[in-house]
Amino acid sequence: MKDLNKTREEFKILNKENSENPIYFDSACMSLKPNQVVEAMNDYYYNFPACAGRSSHKLGDKVTEKIKETRDLIKKFINAKSEKEIIFTRNTTEGINLLSNGFSFQKGDVVLITDREHNSNLVPWLVLRDKIGIELRVLPSREDNTFDLEKYNEMVKGVKLVSMVYTSNLDGVTIPAKEIIDIAHKNGALVFLDAAQTIPHRKIDVKDLDVDFLAFSGHKMLGPTGTGVFYGKENLLEKLSPFLVGGDTVEYTTYTDYKMLELPEKFEAGLQDYAGIIGLGEAVKYLNNLDYTLIQKHEFELNKYITDEISKLPQIKIIGPLDPNLRSGIVNFYVENTDMHKFALMLDNMANISIRSGQHCVHSYFESRKIKNSARLSLYFYNTIAEAETFINNLNKIIKIIS
Amino acid sequence: MPCLIALIIFGIMGIFSASHRALAKEAFSCVFKRVTLRPCNSDFKEKIKSKILSKLINRSLFMTRMVNKHYEILSWIFFILMVGSTIWVLRGGYNFYVYGSCNGLNESGFCAFDPSGENNKVTELDLSCPITPQIEKNVTLNNVDLSSFTTQNINSKDDVVLIGCYACDYSRKAYPDILKLVKNKKANFTFAHYPAKGNTTVLAETAYCINKDYPDKFWDFNNYLFTEDLNYILDINNSDSILEHFNLDVEKINECINSKETKNIIENQVKELNKTNIYGTPTVFINGKAFVGPKPYRVYRSAINKFIFF
Repeated sequence: MKDLNKTREEFKILNKENSENPIYFDSACMSLKPNQVVEAMNDYYYNFPACAGRSSHKLGDKVTEKIKETRDLIKKFINAKSEKEIIFTRNTTEGINLLSNGFSFQKGDVVLITDREHNSNLVPWLVLRDKIGIELRVLPSREDNTFDLEKYNEMVKGVKLVSMVYTSNLDGVTIPAKEIIDIAHKNGALVFLDAAQTIPHRKIDVKDLDVDFLAFSGHKMLGPTGTGVFYGKENLLEKLSPFLVGGDTVEYTTYTDYKMLELPEKFEAGLQDYAGIIGLGEAVKYLNNLDYTLIQKHEFELNKYITDEISKLPQIKIIGPLDPNLRSGIVNFYVENTDMHKFALMLDNMANISIRSGQHCVHSYFESRKIKNSARLSLYFYNTIAEAETFINNLNKIIKIIS
Repeated sequence: MPCLIALIIFGIMGIFSASHRALAKEAFSCVFKRVTLRPCNSDFKEKIKSKILSKLINRSLFMTRMVNKHYEILSWIFFILMVGSTIWVLRGGYNFYVYGSCNGLNESGFCAFDPSGENNKVTELDLSCPITPQIEKNVTLNNVDLSSFTTQNINSKDDVVLIGCYACDYSRKAYPDILKLVKNKKANFTFAHYPAKGNTTVLAETAYCINKDYPDKFWDFNNYLFTEDLNYILDINNSDSILEHFNLDVEKINECINSKETKNIIENQVKELNKTNIYGTPTVFINGKAFVGPKPYRVYRSAINKFIFF
């Protein structure tokens, strides 16, 4: 296992010469990439930039082998039963769209989501509601944004699919997935988990969770942009209709007929992002060499320090529970009647601190609570206490001029 | 308002810099939305404000807080100042083009386009205790009799009067432009010599006598005095040879020069010119308007043009 303190050396952007290195607190949007991920992608483009699975030459064979290797890595990474359950997508959103478009929903079927969903797990269901008339239920969270199991027990009855964000990008709260899935199954519902913000921070075991479908993105877990994974239990995937069809999804075609390929290819239409998938494989290898317990411990320490310091500022309100232990690497805050873009812009200008401001693709949450926007720090293992201190020092200055 | 200011400033800077062009585009989008009565949803205003605050915050917290609090008012103030200074600059540019000085006709204050004030320099007259204060606005041709001075009258509607001195650098500088103006604009032209520097009275007397006896030779002689080497023409020993150069009767001219009548006329001419309240040479009157100092040719031309440029 790697020593977390030494990981910073493996990120080129954090070791620039003759320039101020960024203090990057926006990993929930996009994680930084270790050098080995970038090098693996370059290696593809420089040395074997060919197609996988169709060309009968050494270069093509190598790409096929690398893609297979990555699929196998991911299978092991999330402990899936078979590599057939691993479908490469562009991102989590595509995975959710694959599910919403491929699942055999009927009019009146119920989908249950939380009130803190990213637009990617809200809009597909709203569209489906308008298209075929499904019912969309929204499970309210407790006042501190933690999961309300009691309410869930009431609302899950009659639900066909529970589709929930595993760890929220809004507040970092992770839902009790195992219990949720267990209850759902007892009620005859299937469960999909949006694990985009979970997989970079905690180990996911799909067998242990017994989750039916799960999706995550490569770019939040040290991998390249444009890569993602949709997981489904094999027997469920078999029943799922392909969302995108065409090249690479069929065994043969005539002018009047076609035969779809087996899993997982039937869901991977068109030429894939081979460089990205190879890069994603490298990201998985990198994460495999890290101890998730240490990552969580490190993120907690950072989060605790920042939360404690922010709590000294009465103007600032934190979204979600005050206990940093419940918020993963997220510190999302706002000041009443203040445009939080100002904070982000000033921190960037003052000390090269990158944070995210806005509604973080969870507009529904902000609209319902009449909060204009917020400023969000999302921490990862490469962040340091010194960076957190710099942030707090500058935040204190900004607060003095705003208040 | 900050968007409008930014649009103008970044628009100008964007001509030279691509990064400012992008900002100008953002500012335009913001202004366009506001003009079409839509909210400016771009964060451009915040972006600019934050940049300013970020620069200030490490210098003075108090100042930063004030700027943050009164940003809109400050923006208005800067906007008004910008509009004011723009109008001032445009006015300066117009004045410089039309009058040769940013500050207006014959105004000798600092002008960025003419930092050394060349266009307003004059050879000052040594008038002790003048009756009328020697300021620009008092310079006039009213009640001044110019009939004894040599005139090229071609019955033009435009009149140019040059009061200059043969020995004065600035008069010598202006003279070719006046000739060019008179030629191009076909104007009536009167030349009046004022002995502002050196002993040039004798040259004025000589010119008067030549005009009297050889009127067709006067302008050639006048041109000669303004273009020939100054030391040469001022040397009294060269007088005869200069007259010979023009194939004139030296004796006759000298007799005229030494006559009492000539002395009186030249003396009266100076007295008459003093009525103009001029305080230096050259002073050019174009259709009665005084231009003090050697102005660029375009200034003289603009004064005659109907619409400044044509």
